[in-house]
Amino acid sequence: MNTNPTNEETASRIPRRSFLRAAAGGGLAVATLPTLIESLSVQALAGGDPRLQQLLEEQDRVLVLVQMAGGNDGLNTVVPFTDRLYYDRRPTIAIPKSKTLPLNDTLGWHPAMAGFRSMYDEGTLAIVQGVTYPNPDRSHFRGTDIWLTATDADVFGSTGWVGRYLHTLAPSYPTELPAHPLAVQIGNATSLAMLGSAGPMGISFRDPDEFYRLVNGGGGSGDVPSSEQSDTPAGREIAFMRNIARSADVYANVVKQANDKSGASSVQFPASDIGAKLKVVSQLIAGGLRSRIYLISWANNNYDTHANQTTTDDSTLGVHANLLRELSDAVTAFMQEMKNRGHADRVSGMTFSEFGRRVHENGSVGTDHGTAAPLFVFGAQVEGGRIHGANPDLVNLDPIGDLLMQYDYRDVYASVLLQWFGLQASTAQQLLFRDFSQGAPALFRKATTSVDEAETRQAFVRIGPNPASDFVVVQVNVDAQSDAWLTVSDVRGVQHRTASVESWTGVGRIDLVGMPAGTYVVTLHAGRSIAHTTIQITR
Amino acid sequence: MANLRERTSPLTLDEAFHLVRRMTLQPTYALAASIVGKRPAEAVAALLDAPEAPFPSPEWAAKTPNVVDFNEAYKLWIEMQRWWIDRVLTSTSVRERLIMMWHNTFTSDYLTVYVAHWMVGQHQMLRSNAFDYAEMSRRIVGDAAMLRYLNGDQSIKGRPNENFAREWFELFALGIGNYTENDVLEAARAFTGWRISGLVGTYNRQLADLGEKTILGQTGPWEWKDVIDITLRQPACARFIARKLLRAYVEHEPSAETIEDVAKILRSSEYRIRPVLLTLLSSEYFFTPNLRGALIKSPLELVVGLASALNVTTVSRQYVSQVMTRLTQEPFYPPTVEGWKGHHAWITSSTFPQRQRFGESFIDGRQVGSSSKLTDDAGRNLIPDVIAFMKQFPEVNDADKIVAHVAQALLAIPITKEQHEALLEIMLAGAQKYEWDVNAPSAVQRARFLIQAIVRMPEFQLM
Repeated sequence: MNTNPTNEETASRIPRRSFLRAAAGGGLAVATLPTLIESLSVQALAGGDPRLQQLLEEQDRVLVLVQMAGGNDGLNTVVPFTDRLYYDRRPTIAIPKSKTLPLNDTLGWHPAMAGFRSMYDEGTLAIVQGVTYPNPDRSHFRGTDIWLTATDADVFGSTGWVGRYLHTLAPSYPTELPAHPLAVQIGNATSLAMLGSAGPMGISFRDPDEFYRLVNGGGGSGDVPSSEQSDTPAGREIAFMRNIARSADVYANVVKQANDKSGASSVQFPASDIGAKLKVVSQLIAGGLRSRIYLISWANNNYDTHANQTTTDDSTLGVHANLLRELSDAVTAFMQEMKNRGHADRVSGMTFSEFGRRVHENGSVGTDHGTAAPLFVFGAQVEGGRIHGANPDLVNLDPIGDLLMQYDYRDVYASVLLQWFGLQASTAQQLLFRDFSQGAPALFRKATTSVDEAETRQAFVRIGPNPASDFVVVQVNVDAQSDAWLTVSDVRGVQHRTASVESWTGVGRIDLVGMPAGTYVVTLHAGRSIAHTTIQITR
Repeated sequence: MANLRERTSPLTLDEAFHLVRRMTLQPTYALAASIVGKRPAEAVAALLDAPEAPFPSPEWAAKTPNVVDFNEAYKLWIEMQRWWIDRVLTSTSVRERLIMMWHNTFTSDYLTVYVAHWMVGQHQMLRSNAFDYAEMSRRIVGDAAMLRYLNGDQSIKGRPNENFAREWFELFALGIGNYTENDVLEAARAFTGWRISGLVGTYNRQLADLGEKTILGQTGPWEWKDVIDITLRQPACARFIARKLLRAYVEHEPSAETIEDVAKILRSSEYRIRPVLLTLLSSEYFFTPNLRGALIKSPLELVVGLASALNVTTVSRQYVSQVMTRLTQEPFYPPTVEGWKGHHAWITSSTFPQRQRFGESFIDGRQVGSSSKLTDDAGRNLIPDVIAFMKQFPEVNDADKIVAHVAQALLAIPITKEQHEALLEIMLAGAQKYEWDVNAPSAVQRARFLIQAIVRMPEFQLM
């Protein structure tokens, strides 16, 4: 008996283990549908079997990015009320201990953040302390660009971390557009975060109905063909605009459909701009839009509180208090709405801001640009009620007198990519230009909830013959101990066949006799994880 | 300085259009035609030296501001927007486009500043000094709107506010990488001592930090004016302003070599802008065919450009302001101290279709996104006279030639043969070429079809 594996077998075991690790995270590991299937009629796919529809929805993990533009004052957000230095350095604007909302023995919430406090207490919000990066930049614009491009402080990136991630999901974007927009920004701007090497990977609009009218409200006198692509500045700008115009054309409909379908909100969203934006996001998600990323931001650098950050006679009131209340109230309403609509488990969010502010206040009842600050990650599947990192150290500061780093912001991005979107460490490393997996805090309850496309492909070693006629043999990468089986469904989601997988070899044979010709989805179920591929049946 | 060698051949119509598109906000056929055949330097000088009508501030701007009543403040913001839009619709001066560049450099927004009187004051300061960057820099420090916008009026000796000092180096003069964090801290000390008194900023040495400071490597008891002088002497400063000028007038990503060439002129002219524009805009480099259409129109350039091309500069000022706002360039309200990012940031999945719809409805005499009629500033209905527009071109009754003339006037790059055929077909709308007659009743609709098809093209967004 020869027990030495061949080279081929060795090679196939490596992804097998990684597939298993994905599955072993303790919970449901759901594979991202391959782009191949996305290009089939997804609506048809979702419109059939309700279980498959549920599956599709589960697969669409959503991340909502909330940008607190201008540089949020972290020390007055999560207040270190036992630290005398905090009160010494901020005689006018420090939040008195008695006014904070309880967080733990040494920290309190800003009094305007009752909503965040409740989410933290019920275990759906986590705090990451001291987030910045080496050699932090105190410029709004440079700092923001660094956060959005996920580059080192001395690297000038031209693509965003979100854009790069989305490009892995749709490699032929924008030549082939997925059925739904990959990312949506509520507002008229397009964030650098969404920029991929082939231009913006998402769309932006303020209001779905207005967007639809804009795109479809044109006159009917006919269109003029594109001039040939030329490698001149003008030629490149024309290509840039044509791509944006095309994605607007394609997506205005699907966005409107989702918005129309969503119905009235079950909660009252706050009247703030950020509340209105999160309301739109909630409607699109509830209405079935399958975007992965939503990005919202304050319209200006609102958190830039150089002066009059608080009122002079009450440090719990004023500009910063209002901003934090807007944030806390809007996010709370949003997550409640997601819960009421049954989407809480697939929607998470994180806040970010280009920097925190200086430890000491200035003479204008404000604070100037600083460095590290806390950020917040929220969602039903967030490992909530936890604080990552120690309280801010007000003694050991950098040479300028600012807070030192505890977490690199890319550690948090790595948590999102690995734990929430379930990417392989190698893919996350590519997207963030370096391996941040070691420092990534455990932010999400289900350590891995989806498997990226590359990994889905690796779940299937071979499938053939394809096209098939009477039978198909499938070899998969699953652990010998796991209980794995295969199903074959048509593109409407109707299941036609089930077959077991021989546990030692990973091989399953599926009888196809009697099935009509067409494209079918082969699904691998291994434990609580699944992966998809497609086959053609010819007659 | 081979790069900026003077181009001496007489201007063709294409070149004349290129020049007036980049120099003015109103690149009309009449203006372009008026400089055809001139030597470029001669044409640039003529445009630079064209007489300008005076532009007095609104009467209320000289009175004591009422800083309590929000309704009053809001009313004045609207009046301020109207005041300025009226100017850009009625003045063809090259100064108007240059001021926008400075407003987008030395930014302030009316919501933060709150007092329209100060915003008007800042605008007038930029206007008077638009051709002198050094003087503008000295004056911006004590400009009332800027003192409020970046908290200079609240900066206190001993506990300085760093806001203005940082943006001075980063956004107004040097750019990132050319100063240190310590320079920001020290300059913030030197910029203390300013308060606002009525309509103007006043400097009080008693309130200023007169202690020794080290700024950009030089140590001394520097005050605000010293910081400006020290900064202006930095080679990086001339390069920073050179890049801004090149981005505004020529291309979005100029080469380091070109930037240095322009920076040299700035240094030798002590930051006066006229010599730079004169050399730059009459250079072989500026007229490189590759650089036609290299810039994306700002909302201001789009709206005023179309209104002037169609000779409807009487259009409602309020409407122009609304359109600019929807296209993310609300007058006097840049989104951040960095100003409007411009170029690609102007074009998103929302603003691109909105730009198309604006152009189409404008030609029909409608407001974008509604069934409301376009009006002039007195509220009378306004429909652009597309026939008069067509009739300014020669050979107006030759269908092929009129399509070519209109495209040349409205598009910064030449159309292809296929585009020409498509536009011709759209204009003829089923008729034969020989049937085209600009005096026929159907010509109005046909002319609108043609112009609307042009303004829908991505090419129309370029300049």
